[in-house]
Parts: sequence; structure tokens; C-alpha cells
Amino acid sequence: MNSNLFMVIAASAIFYGTPLFFAALGELLTERSGVLNLGVEGMMLIGGVTGAWASQHIGGTSWFVVLMSILIGTSAAALVGLLHAFLAITLRVNQTVAGLAITIFAGGLGLSSYFASVWNVAQRPATHPIRFLDVGGLADTPILGPIFFHQNILTYFSWIAVVVASIYLFRTRVGLQLRAVGESPQTADAMGINVVKYRYIHTVIGGALAGVGGVYYSLAIIPTWVDGMTKGAGWIAIALVIFGFWRPDLTLAGAYLFGALQSLSLTLKARNMHINGDLLDALPFIMTIVVLVLLSGGWAKKRLGAPASLGVPYEREER
Amino acid sequence: MSEKIAVRMSGIVKRFPGVIANDGVNFDAREGEVHALLGENGAGKSTLSNILTGLYRPDNGEIELNGESISFSSPRAALNAGIGMVHQHFRLVNSFTVAENVVLGDESTGTFLNAGDVAQKVEELSQRYNLAVDPRARVWQLSVGEQQRVEILKVLYRGARILILDEPTAVLTPQEADALFITLRAMVKEGRTVIFISHKLDEVMAVSDRVTVLRGGRTVGTIETAHSSRRELARLMVGREVVFDRVERKINSSDKETVLRVNAVSALDDRGNKALNDVSLTIKTGEVLGVAGVSGNGQRELAEVIAGMRHASAGTISVNEKEIPNGKVRHAISAGIAHVPEDRLHTGLASSHSIEDNLILKSYRTQPISRYSVLRRKAIQENASQLVEQYDVKTPSTETPVRLLSGGNVQKVLLAREFSANPKVLIAASPTRGLDVGAIENVRSHIVAAADNGVGVLLISEDLEELLSLSDRIVVLYEGRIVGDLPTSSATRESLGLLMGGVALEEHTS
Amino acid sequence: MKSPLRLERRLTQPKKLNWLVPLISIAAALALGAIVLLLTGKNPLSAYHRILETAFTSKSSFSGTLVSATPLAFTGLCAALTFRAGIINIGGEGQFFMGAVGATLAGLALSGQPTAIIILSMVVMGALFGGLYAVIAGVLKAKFNTNEIITTLMLNYLAGIFLNYLIFGSTSYWRDPQSMGFPTGKQLQPRAFWPSLHIVGFTVPLGFLLATILGMLLWFLYARTRFGYEVNVIADAPSAARYAGMRTRWKIISVMAIAGAVAGFGGASDVGDFRHVLDAKGLQLAGYGYTGIVVAALARYNPVSAVTVAILMGGLTNAGYALQGPNFPSGLVGTLQGLILFTAVAGEVLTRYRIRTQKSGALSEVAA
Repeated sequence: MNSNLFMVIAASAIFYGTPLFFAALGELLTERSGVLNLGVEGMMLIGGVTGAWASQHIGGTSWFVVLMSILIGTSAAALVGLLHAFLAITLRVNQTVAGLAITIFAGGLGLSSYFASVWNVAQRPATHPIRFLDVGGLADTPILGPIFFHQNILTYFSWIAVVVASIYLFRTRVGLQLRAVGESPQTADAMGINVVKYRYIHTVIGGALAGVGGVYYSLAIIPTWVDGMTKGAGWIAIALVIFGFWRPDLTLAGAYLFGALQSLSLTLKARNMHINGDLLDALPFIMTIVVLVLLSGGWAKKRLGAPASLGVPYEREER
Repeated sequence: MSEKIAVRMSGIVKRFPGVIANDGVNFDAREGEVHALLGENGAGKSTLSNILTGLYRPDNGEIELNGESISFSSPRAALNAGIGMVHQHFRLVNSFTVAENVVLGDESTGTFLNAGDVAQKVEELSQRYNLAVDPRARVWQLSVGEQQRVEILKVLYRGARILILDEPTAVLTPQEADALFITLRAMVKEGRTVIFISHKLDEVMAVSDRVTVLRGGRTVGTIETAHSSRRELARLMVGREVVFDRVERKINSSDKETVLRVNAVSALDDRGNKALNDVSLTIKTGEVLGVAGVSGNGQRELAEVIAGMRHASAGTISVNEKEIPNGKVRHAISAGIAHVPEDRLHTGLASSHSIEDNLILKSYRTQPISRYSVLRRKAIQENASQLVEQYDVKTPSTETPVRLLSGGNVQKVLLAREFSANPKVLIAASPTRGLDVGAIENVRSHIVAAADNGVGVLLISEDLEELLSLSDRIVVLYEGRIVGDLPTSSATRESLGLLMGGVALEEHTS
Repeated sequence: MKSPLRLERRLTQPKKLNWLVPLISIAAALALGAIVLLLTGKNPLSAYHRILETAFTSKSSFSGTLVSATPLAFTGLCAALTFRAGIINIGGEGQFFMGAVGATLAGLALSGQPTAIIILSMVVMGALFGGLYAVIAGVLKAKFNTNEIITTLMLNYLAGIFLNYLIFGSTSYWRDPQSMGFPTGKQLQPRAFWPSLHIVGFTVPLGFLLATILGMLLWFLYARTRFGYEVNVIADAPSAARYAGMRTRWKIISVMAIAGAVAGFGGASDVGDFRHVLDAKGLQLAGYGYTGIVVAALARYNPVSAVTVAILMGGLTNAGYALQGPNFPSGLVGTLQGLILFTAVAGEVLTRYRIRTQKSGALSEVAA
């Protein structure tokens, strides 16, 4: 494999992996608080369609429009996150069913498609897509330049995000409390931590970050809206959280791996090199199952496993 | 130890549905003292301490802290005021390190965690109070004794001046218990106050300066430990000798055959600690064997091992001298062992299911209830109607979910089911707990009738009166061992109280 | 942060809630949907009228609805069986796919046989493939306590990829060798087509009839047999199940096997009744498995109700297809289905809890 091919694959891995990372980071934070959100796909699509709409209807400089589109898409998805939070935390509905309901409701055959048709979003491409942005002179450095420094602003932002998220989770007091809520809400409650507040906030954040991922699809990857264009990225993000052991840094690495697999078969076909595309497609899912089974055993479960109270609604005993 | 009162509770009243847990309790603790709170289960010790630490609000009464009247809206408020509790069931996050658990919930550390600072402070406290534990270890890696030290460190870290420990030695080895006492002494030397909840007389005598004994929700005495004795404490704890009515028994079982033999059984509890240690007992046909002891000394595990719900790590169980396979419920059932568990509504019954469905919980695989794997509704209904009438269960219909029944009727359903299988052995765990007087009489008469019919009954109860009135013989379980085996005629409340508190028979003179 | 409203557990569940709640849920969903429509400048009444017309009001439209309802009946039954047993199996989708694979195999291989034999083998192979596929997740849960939500989800994806592999990624037995340009599956011979029955003027697909019978059998299984009794106790009172010596792990595997077989049966019906070919793309776009979960939830996990609810959902889906075009907003069907699911689960909560307002007690502050 010559270095040119390697660079193309590496750059694509980062490019396609970024939206997966954002959605997965959001889900990671939500799950760290103990809430399971299966509605990621729906939230991404809502973010994508509202971002696309914004991009077509807001006037101003390119920068301004892009920023506003991202903001609007993120906010819309955050609202959907709020809906999930209400169902899962306040009403204590089965979190799986609630998440699936959101995906059906907002997904490719649902609200996002409805908005697209009502607002005529698909009729033309985004006026101000998120373009590549070279980082000054760094983009010219051999090998590393084209891979890392010829990306778009959301990718650069994702690198900041992974650092911030890691510090937040593992080095701040609030992050410790968040993790306590996810591991043992009874203990957190006994220590005076507001379990409900933490869960609500992080579920909404999860929705917002899924929205960022969705906007990436509609404004960066293919700057034209297509119904259901995330094509299951939301589900992959959920798998990615497990694959990354609920840690932001590993999630980023996993996102790039999954991104590479996604683009690999296409890239190789274009160069007349044939690897079975279906096997590549299957790898992320098989790997996730393996990881999950390993995590269920005693050794790994304690060291690397899911937040202990994931998916279980919290009911405080009456005083 | 100074004379200064650190905390005073006056006239505390706390009611729960159906029971008055604290009925005008007075209690005070001085600076620099270890003050023991002694009493049986249900005496009101836990409720009192939960009020002191802000978990409950008293219905009546006052709390004074350093002379000022005070009231807590939450456990956090109590902790901020300097009162910390070390619970029997730890509140720790298993996957966190010791340091992380200690600092959790502390609002004063600022935004960023300084792992090094916290670890250092934890080390300091560890050294000072003989609480050796590695701040960087994860809680799931620690032994139970070490986990308890983390709980203590948690409250010390937050500057608690008054520490309440709830049955702290229940989960400790003797060596760990001794180490704990050194810690407590070190703490009070600095002027802190320790309130030590226990039912173990030896420990209370060894480590406390004063003892307050609670019984039936009331204070029955506060004594200087140095001027007291185990005998006196036991008498206060269980009440004066009263003439009780022994139940009339129709048969004398002393010359009958052995129906249940438990031989050298050991077993672990859910946490992996030894709950039963080389336990042996026998029950004859028609005999009622009472098992006395404060809850948490292995009673539940004993019942579960005999019923086949729990695997015994050593020893055998035999019915009519035929050994039954270890840890298999269905074999125990078919060998004729019936079990009325302590937790009626969640273990003994499926609470959301109907009476008739619960009555077939063990018989649903046999004829006439089912045939060719199909349940026969008519047979189920008839079975239920007949049993409901026979045992006088008050219910609008046999389809009523059992959780809607009153406590007494719930127990009747359980008894009906267990007796209708014509068992050879009946394990009855706390059968009358929480029931009203009429229901209590009803349950007791069923148990006696069963024994008169030849059933060997293992009666596990915290109610000494009940044991003394119904049993032929009584054994006492303490820390997973049988520490006494007496015919009821020679058992007294006092000697039983001493045994329950861990004092061996030979030492019952001091 | 104390909320002014509190949920308090109900002691009794009035029987009338069983049908009242789903009814109110649907009404609430329609109301919410109407709000969405109004806010975006569309007329809810005309949209609903058109849906009703296309889905239910004429014999031909109702027959179309039954076509859409058939796969949903199977996946609805699959989800109902497992959710009722306390297992969150969202793998109906993948189990359906695998059933289609197995059934197509039988349909193609036995094309010389009489129709009855072919249908029987397709059903058996479909159920077998679906059941075994579900058992994978069942064993992982029973033996390793692996979270079945994620495993079944991953298995769904793998099943979809497997479909792609069979049709697009290889020259398998299922693929039509003549279709080099755009790969398609091998068509079944007409002898392998499942017949439709004509009942009082309606055209009922064989699969739908079989699903109805299956629903009743499964209801019987859960309500009247030892197996069902154990499933109910294990799901509702796990401590009591342990007390009575029930064998939980085998039950989990058995329930998954049956549920997977039912979904696989659905896959067989998809091939035999409707597509007559292994349609990799179409199957993956349809989302039968996930919609089946909506059906099961609305039917409160009752097998017989599931088939009825499948008709309702089928009607919506049918209307969605038929009305697609510039005059009817796309995505409305998914939106309504999602809303119905929301209101159904929210309604479910109200059957278990009552809403209470917090009485303000006299709270004194701490003097610390």
C-alpha cells in the first residue's frame, strides 16, 4: 500500500469519523449519567434537517451562516433530547422503547423527512456548506499535513471537545459526581447530589452533540439533504460508546476506525483493489459484540464496564 | 471524657404506618465518649440514628447540638453540622477509588479534583486513626473491613465531630473488630463523640463508656458501662422475667424419629462472607425447634440452605435420614421441605399475581393442577377456593392480587400453600413479624397444629416470647454458629439474651 | 430541585384501563400530530381523512392494509413475547431477515414440489433460521449476562449486511445469475407463491391468517400453560421464581427461540406472500422489526391485541405508501407512528402511577 493511498484512507477516516464521534460523545455523556438513549439516529436527523434549513434561509457572511446553522441544528436536536429525558427520567418509561420511539418519530420516515418536504429543503444544496479549512502552514507538512490539517472546523473542534470531555469526566468535581450518578444513583443521592438534574442535563447535551453530528452530514459530507442520510450512523455511535469503553479518547480512536472502515471499501474499489466490502461493514458490529461479551465477565466488568445503573430508572425510597 | 454534652435528643417520637418506632426517646452523648446504643431488632435504634443524621424528621421532640436547638433537612445538612453515620450497608461507588469515594459530594474542593491532595489527606487520616487503606485502590478490590474504613474516612474527611456506627462489627473479623476499637478510642481522645449501635454485649462492655438501652421504642436505661454487667444489660435489653404461657402440645416429640438433620453446614452470604459456620442441628417428628438470634447472624442463610435456595459450601441436609442434593430447590420441595420465608411478598409470593396463581407456585407442575403442560383453570380455582376457605383468608375473590391483602391474610396464603403440600419439615422465618394480634394467634395456632400432626418445625424468630412459648427446644445463632442448644424448660430470657449477645453459656455469671 | 408533581404507585389497576389507555393514546397522538400539521401550514383534517380513506374505508384499501399489516403482526408478536418476559429483544428486524433467507432457500430448492409442501418448508426454514439467530443473543444473555439490547441491535446490522452479501456481494444461491447489471435475487416459481384467501370480499394474505392463529396460540401459551406461568413469574417476581426453583436461564433461551421463530415466520411470509424474492434492499428499508416494537407496546404486549394493532399500523403504513407524492407530506406516517408510541408508553405509566401534587411540608433549615 503506497503512502498516497494510506494518506487518503487516513484523511477519510478522520473526515467520516468526526460525525460518529460527536454523536458517540453525546451518547457517552448521557450513558455516564445512567440514561440509555437509543434515539440518537433520530436526533442526528433532526439536527441535520434543521441545520440544512437554516443554511438556506439565513443571510449573511459564509461564516455567520455556517455558525448559525450549526447552532440551530444543535438546538433542535437538544429539544428532542429533552423529550427523551422527560420520558425516561420523569415518567420512568422503558428507556429502550422511548429511544426507539424517538428514532421512528424523528427518523428517516418521520419528522425529519416531514420537515424536509414541508420546508423544501432537498430542492437545492446548501448555500454555505462547511468547507475544508487548511490550518495555515501546517497543511503543507509532509504526510501529516493533508491528513490532519486539511479538515473542516467541526473536526478541529472535535479535537478540542475530546480534551475538554476527558478533563471534565476525570478531573473535575462535577465530572466525578456525574460518574457517581451513573454508577450508583443511591450513593450519589445519599451524598446530596441531584440525580435528576444530572441526568436531564446530560441527556440534553447528548441530543445536542448528536445534532452536531447530524449537521455534519447535511452540511459537510453531502451538502444536500437526503431523507435518512445518516444511514444508521446513530446506531453505530451507540455501538461506538461501548467500543470506546465510555472514554472520550478511545471513542475518538474508535470513530476514526469505524470511519476508515466506512470509506475503505469505496476507496479501494476506486483503485480497483477488491476487499469484500460486506466484511468490512460487518467488522464494527462484530467487534462491538465481542467487546460487550468480554465486558460482561467479572474481570472486565469492574474495570472497564458500563455505568452500573445504565438504563435503570431511579426511584428514591420514600422518606 | 468531659462532662460536656455534645448532642441531646429529648422526647423523640417517630411513627411509621402501623408502628411507633420511637416513643418519647431521651438520649444524650458527651464529648470524648463512646456511647453504645443497645437493643434488639425493632427496639428503635436505627430510627433514632436516622433522625440524628437527617434521614428522617421526628414527629415530636427536640435535638440539641452543643446546646443549640437544631433540625436537619437532609443527610448532607447533618454532615455539614458535623454528624456523620457509618451505615451497615455501605454507600460506596464500587468502581471508584477510595479517594474518589471520600471526596464525593464535598462541595468545598473547587472545580478541579486534586487527586494528590485528597490522597495525602486520606493518608494522614488513615495514619492518625489506624484505618489502613490505600487511597488509590478501587473499592471492589477491598475487603469488607477495608470498605468500612473508607466509610469512616468519608465522615472524618468532612470533619464530623460526632460519628454514629451502625452494627459496625457485623461484617468484621475479630481482628478487624479490635482494630476498629483502637480507631474509636483514638477518635474520642481528641474530643470527638462516637455513638456505637450494637446488640453484642461483649463489645459494648469492652469499648463503651456509657450504654443506653432501648426497648420497644423507649429508653429503658442509661448506665455507666464500668458499673454494669452483661447480665444487667441483657435483662434490660429483653425485659424482665415474665410468666409466659407455654402452648399446650398434643404430642411429646422427645422419643420420636429425627425428621431433619443439618450436619456441619457452612455457607457464604451474598457478599461472599461466611454466613454459616459448621452448623449442626436436628429436628424430630412433631418437634418445634426455635432458632433465636438477632437478625443478620445467619438466619436467612440457614433457611435458604435447608430450602435448597442456597448452596452449602460444606455439610449435608437430610430428611428422614436421606440426604438431599445440595442447593436444589425442587429436590428440597419434593423431599417434603416447606418454607415460609421472611420476605413474604417478594420471595414467598409473586405479589402482583392473584391468590390462586400464588397458591400453585410450587404445585403447578403436578396433577391435577396441570396436565400435559397445560394449566387447568378449573382445578386452580377449586384449589384456591378450598384453601381460602380452609384458612379463612379474607379476600373479595381468589383472583385478587396478593399485594392487596392485609399482612395477616398474606401469611395465611403462604401457610395454606405450604401446608397443603403435606410437608415433613416446615421452615418458618419470622412468621408473625408485622402482624396484628389476631393474625399472630392464627399463625401460631397453625404452626402448633402442624407440629402436632408430625411436622418438624424450624421456627426462626427474633421474638423471644414467641420462641419460648412455641418451641420444644431452642438454639441460638450468633455470627453463623450455634452457640446454645437448650430445652425450652431450662431457657430463660436472660440466658437467651446473653447468648444472642455473644456470651457463651459458661460465662453467664458475670 | 424538588418537582411539584410526584408519581405515586397505584395499588389497583382498574380493568377498564386495558382498553381505555390505548384508545386515549391514539387520540392524544392524533391530536399532537394535528398540532404539528397545523404549525407547518397543513390541514390535519384533510390529511387524516385521506389516510382513513386509503387505509380502511373500502374493501380494496383494507386489503392493502392487511398486506402491510402482515409483517407487522409477526414482528409485533415477536416483540410482545419477549418484552412480556422481561427481555428487551429489539432484534425482530434481524430475525425477520434471517427467516426470509431460510424461507427463500426452501422456496428455491423445492420448486418442483407441490405448493403445500413448499409453503410448509418455507415456514419451517424461516422459523428455524429466525429462532436460531435469536438464540445467539439469548445464550449470551443467559450465560454471560450480556445486555440483550445491544447484542440484538448489533445482530440486526449483521443480518442486514448478510443480506447484502448474499445478493450484492457474492454469487450465492440466492442471487439471480442473470442480473449482472443490477444484482437481484432469484425469483421464486409461481408454485411457491402463497395463496390469498377471499373472505367476505376481503383479500386476506395467507400469512396474515397464519399470524392471527399464531397470535391465539401464543396467547394460550402464555396464559394457560406451565411454560407461560413460569415466564410470568420470572418476569414479574424474580425472587419468587428463585424461591420456587424455576430455571431462569433456560427460559430466557426458550423465549428468545420462540420469538425469533415467530419473526422468522414473518420473513417467510414476506417472501412467500408478497415479494417472492429475497429483496435485500427492500427488507432493510422497511423497518418491520422496529415498527413491530411499536405494535407490541401499543398492544401492551398481549399477543392477540398485537395482531389487531398491527392492522392499525399497517393502515398507516399503507396510507403512507399510497399517498406518497407532492400533495401529501412524506414522513407523516413515521411521525404519527412515533407519536402513538410516545403516548402509548406515557399512558402505560399512568396505569402504574398516579400524579400527585407535593404538599408543602414545614421545612426548617439547618443551623450549621
